[in-house]
Amino acid sequence: MNHATWPARVILIVISAVIVWTVIAAQRGKKLFIRRIPGLTAIDEAVGRAVEMGRGILLSSGLGGIDVVTLQALAICTNIASAAARYGTKVNMPIYEAALLPIAEDAIGSAYNKAGRGDAFSSDDVRYLSNQQFAYAAGVAGMIQREQYAATFLFGTFFAESLIMAENANMVGAIQVAGTPSTTQIPFFIASCDYVIIGDEYYAATAYLTRQPTLLGSMIGQDRIKIGILVLVLLGFLLTIGKMPLVKNLFEDKDMPAASYYTPVKGGK
Amino acid sequence: MFQVKHGTDLYTYLAGAAVISVILFFALTLLPTKLRRPLIMAVTFASGLFYALEFFWPVSGPEGDQQNFLTTYIKPFSDITTVLQSFALGLGVYSLVSIHARKVVRTQSGWAYSLILIVCMVVMVIGNIGKEYIKAPWVGHLNEFAYTGLMKSLDATMFSIIAFYIVSAAYRAFRIRSTEATILLVSAGLIMLGQVAIGQAITNGIPNDGFLANFRVENLANWILKKVNSPAIMAIDFGLGVGGLATALRLWLSLERGSYFEEEL
Repeated sequence: MNHATWPARVILIVISAVIVWTVIAAQRGKKLFIRRIPGLTAIDEAVGRAVEMGRGILLSSGLGGIDVVTLQALAICTNIASAAARYGTKVNMPIYEAALLPIAEDAIGSAYNKAGRGDAFSSDDVRYLSNQQFAYAAGVAGMIQREQYAATFLFGTFFAESLIMAENANMVGAIQVAGTPSTTQIPFFIASCDYVIIGDEYYAATAYLTRQPTLLGSMIGQDRIKIGILVLVLLGFLLTIGKMPLVKNLFEDKDMPAASYYTPVKGGK
Repeated sequence: MFQVKHGTDLYTYLAGAAVISVILFFALTLLPTKLRRPLIMAVTFASGLFYALEFFWPVSGPEGDQQNFLTTYIKPFSDITTVLQSFALGLGVYSLVSIHARKVVRTQSGWAYSLILIVCMVVMVIGNIGKEYIKAPWVGHLNEFAYTGLMKSLDATMFSIIAFYIVSAAYRAFRIRSTEATILLVSAGLIMLGQVAIGQAITNGIPNDGFLANFRVENLANWILKKVNSPAIMAIDFGLGVGGLATALRLWLSLERGSYFEEEL
C-alpha cells in the first residue's frame, strides 16, 4: 500500500486547507473572477447548433468507474443535459460502467427536472452498453451513425477508443467538445474534435458553467496552489544550481527521520 | 469478522448479511427526505475519512510491507465496493435487455440487431458461467467459440480500425491552415523520421559528436520528445493533480451541491 511521507503529509494538508479556505471565503460572498475558457464557451454553441438542426446530443463519460474523473464528467454532462432539455433537444448517454448507470440516470433526470422538462426524460436516454472497451466503442459508434447527432460531448477517462468515437462523430458532421485528464488521448481529441478542454480546465468546467460560489472558490484555490507549486519549483531550481543541499531529500518517495530530509543522499544523488 | 469463512459459518454470515440488508433497506425507505441528505453526507465523510486516515497515519514494519492499524481493513472495504458493483451489473444488464427486448417485441427499425445482441448475451452467459458447473464438452466449446472465437476477434477488429481513424484525423490536423498546424506538422514529421531507419539515414552524414550532432534527425526527435513534450505533459499532470484533489475534497466534504442533483436530495 502507498502511504504518505512527512513532506507529503504537510504539503497535502496545506493544499487541502487552502482549497477549503477559498471555498468558505467564496461561500461568504467574496467576488471571484475566472477567465474565459473557449472550450467551455463552445458548449452553449454546440447545444444551440443541435437545437437549430433538430437533432440529438450524445454525452459520454468515458471508461472510468465511479471516481473523481467520472463524477466530474457526470457533473459537466448534467449541465449540458439541463441546457439541452430547456430547448427541447434529446440527449443520449451511453454508460460503460454498470455501477454508474443509476447515478447517471438520477443526475440526468434531475437535470431535466431542473429545466422544467421532467416529462421529456426517458430512462432509455441513459443506457448501459458494455464494460468491454471496444464493445462500448462500437456501441457508441453505432449510436452516432444511427442517430446522426448534431453535437457530441466526450468527457471523462478515455483510452484507445477515443478516436473511434470522435471520428465517427466527425463523419456525421457533429460539433464536438471533448475533455479528458488522460494526457495520452489529448492529441487524438485535438486532431478530431472542434474544441478540447485540456488539463485542469477539465476540473474548472462545472465552476465555469454553474458559477456556483463553492466551485468558483475551489477553482481559485487550485490556482493559488499552482502558483505555490511554481514558486517551489523555482526555489528548487535555484537551490539546485546553487548546490545547496537543503531540499536534496525533501521529495524522496520514502519515509525517513525528519533530519534526513535536509541532508544530502550519499552517492551524490 | 473479515476473515474468510467456510461451512456453517459461511451460511450463518450470509443469512446474517441478508437479514441486515433487508432491515437497512426498509429503514432507508422509511427515512424522512430531509434526513437523507445528512445521512449521505455522513456516510461519504466516514468512507473518505477511512482512506484518508489509512494514507496519512504513520506506518511501521519492514520496507515494502509497511502498515498501520487500518491497513488490514483495506481489503474488506474493497470487497464491499466489488459487491456493490456486482449488484449494479444486474441493473446494467436489465437496462440493456429492456431496451433491446422492447425493440424486438415492437419490431422497430433494427430489431434484428437487437435480437442478435440478446442471443449473443444468452450464449455468452451459458458458455462462461456454464463451464464452471457443467462438465459436458459442448459447454467448453461454446465458451471457446463465443469468447475466443467471436468476442476477442471482434475486439481486435475494432482496435485495428483505429489505424485508419488515426490517418484521417492526422490528415485533417496536419493540413497547413495556421501557425499551430504548421508547427504540429513539422514536429510530427521530425519525430516520425527520428523513429525509423530511413529517416535516420537522411542525416547519417552528420558527425555523431560535436555541435553538428544536434541536427541529426534522431537527436532532434529526442529533443522534441524529452525537452518540449515531457515538460508540457508534466505541467498538465500537475494541474490535473491539483484539480482532482480539489474535486475529491468537495465531494468528500459534500461541498459539491447542485452539480449532480437538484438542491434537495
